[in-house]
Amino acid sequence: MEQRLANTWRMTVNEKKFIESALVSGLRVDGRNLYDYRKLSINFGKEDGSAEVHLGQTRVMGIATSQLVQPYRDRPNEGTLSIFTEFSPMADPSFEPGRPGEFAVELGRVIDRGLRESRAVDTESLCVLAGKLVWAIRIDLHILDNGGNLVDAANVAALAALSTFRRPECSLGGENGQEVIVHPPEAREPLPLIIHHLPIAVTFAFFSDESTLVVDPTHQEEAVMAGRMTATLNTNGDICAIQKAGGEGVPQSVIMHCLRIAATKAADITVKIRDTVEAYNTERALQKIKRHSAPVALDVSGTVPNVRKNQVKSEDQREVSGSVGTQVEKLKPMNERKNSDQSNDIEGKVVTKSLEQGGTNSKDGNPRSFIGGPSS
Amino acid sequence: MEIDRADGRNPNQLRPLSCSRGVLNRAHGSASWAQGNTQVLAAVYGPKAGTKKNENPEKASVEVIWKPKTGQIGKQEKEYEMVLKRTLQSICILTIHPNTTTSVIVQVVHDDGALLPCAINASCAALVDAGIPLKHLAVAICCCLADSGLVMLDPTKLEEEKMKAFVYLVLPNSILSVLPEESSSVKGEQMEQGLITSVTHGVMSVDDYLHCLERGRAATSKMSDFLRRNLQPQLSSDSSKAG
Repeated sequence: MEQRLANTWRMTVNEKKFIESALVSGLRVDGRNLYDYRKLSINFGKEDGSAEVHLGQTRVMGIATSQLVQPYRDRPNEGTLSIFTEFSPMADPSFEPGRPGEFAVELGRVIDRGLRESRAVDTESLCVLAGKLVWAIRIDLHILDNGGNLVDAANVAALAALSTFRRPECSLGGENGQEVIVHPPEAREPLPLIIHHLPIAVTFAFFSDESTLVVDPTHQEEAVMAGRMTATLNTNGDICAIQKAGGEGVPQSVIMHCLRIAATKAADITVKIRDTVEAYNTERALQKIKRHSAPVALDVSGTVPNVRKNQVKSEDQREVSGSVGTQVEKLKPMNERKNSDQSNDIEGKVVTKSLEQGGTNSKDGNPRSFIGGPSS
Repeated sequence: MEIDRADGRNPNQLRPLSCSRGVLNRAHGSASWAQGNTQVLAAVYGPKAGTKKNENPEKASVEVIWKPKTGQIGKQEKEYEMVLKRTLQSICILTIHPNTTTSVIVQVVHDDGALLPCAINASCAALVDAGIPLKHLAVAICCCLADSGLVMLDPTKLEEEKMKAFVYLVLPNSILSVLPEESSSVKGEQMEQGLITSVTHGVMSVDDYLHCLERGRAATSKMSDFLRRNLQPQLSSDSSKAG
């Protein structure tokens, strides 16, 4: 195992001195201002409740799942929320598989406090049968790439996953109303969680020079820093959690200054999360319309391969737009391709017709919502 | 006899493949491979000094860590780790860097059938991205057998569950060579006729198995072309991974 430690990345003295002296003059190695965040982008996976967050070079994937369990004795009417953080060895050569290290546990606890203890997620709505069955929401956070500031990225991933998660609808039935029937997503539309507010974590790094502090440190800055503080706040002005575990002592005025900065940053990030979640929800709703109108289109247009090709085509488009530098290949025999050209022509004609008419009757009697969907 | 597959493919059709390399910054090599909705992310670190206790220090060793999407690591994950490790050990040239460990970490992003073949393909691409010396590439595919005896390629999760049996096959990639064919044969048989790994689930007759093998081999030539095209060096990416 000692040989493993020899493989960890160590920062050279030159790099340390360079970062420190650059910070004294207010310069950061990646060219940002002291209080700037790196570029934050949130992508959603194919299932509800899976999100991947890129914060500069840091990459975290968050997945939310649910299960019916017995509630805790002292809270028989509430569901539970639990957070599991996986420091995958792919993120950093020093992360070992197996038991989480102290930093992993700390990260899990900070996010847990911010989400659960501030009552961001409404747990009372997760109760199915008081005292017997409640929904337990489980969030798995996988750290894929450690580019620094894992707390903030993981927090955004957890929030994004929770915002897009849908739990199955269940109803009570049976003789005395004690039997719980869980409806599959095809039968009844699954329900989103009720989220009251979004607690955003903002991390500050302090350096040995008293007045220097930066927001959103990269992993090189983290290797040089003398202390760190994470403040979790929401846009209502509530402070959900503050974590400053050891490190360099910092005067009160600096702490207040940090909280003020954190408030503005939290507002920006909240807007970003809300916008991307809304975009995802609208796309999901459009997808649902397409899926439901497909059986109708089958009867009317009469040709099966065309409809399916459209669906697969739009999936392709999503794939291409969602990833960078990929090659999407379809291995299909030639006759299928001819069919697709035909379907493109038919589609083209119907689209122009419906745009001209603007009415509910289009050429083949296809519902307008199908034509107007993302595939056009 | 035609069986209608839910997504409109015919039995010999694979789902759309997509592969991107160099997706992670800290890892020495990384690749994301998607077959339809199944997506796997693989990262490679190595070679690192030293081997584990029960490994042979005269050779390089490969360590595989499989991370499921959610939940604890159980027996299924351990089995995948073992199969992946043995497969990758047979394609890596182990004599070049003795007493080192190359770690391959696989993260399941989404599972919609044919998960292990997708992971093997992703790991192979990640090994190439990391520059680990390999003898040849490995191309993995899943063939499933319906009750009627029809062999279908690359099933989705629903299809896998309904089938009588399915087999994961890993074959070496097809050779693109200017040399005449005889020089690439090993012990009188063509190298591309070899089979690296085969994992079966369910009951199938010997004839059905050989039939699956044939179909799998035909499909892997197309996949090898895709892989070869995709592994061409990318012009615009930077290659400095120091630190």
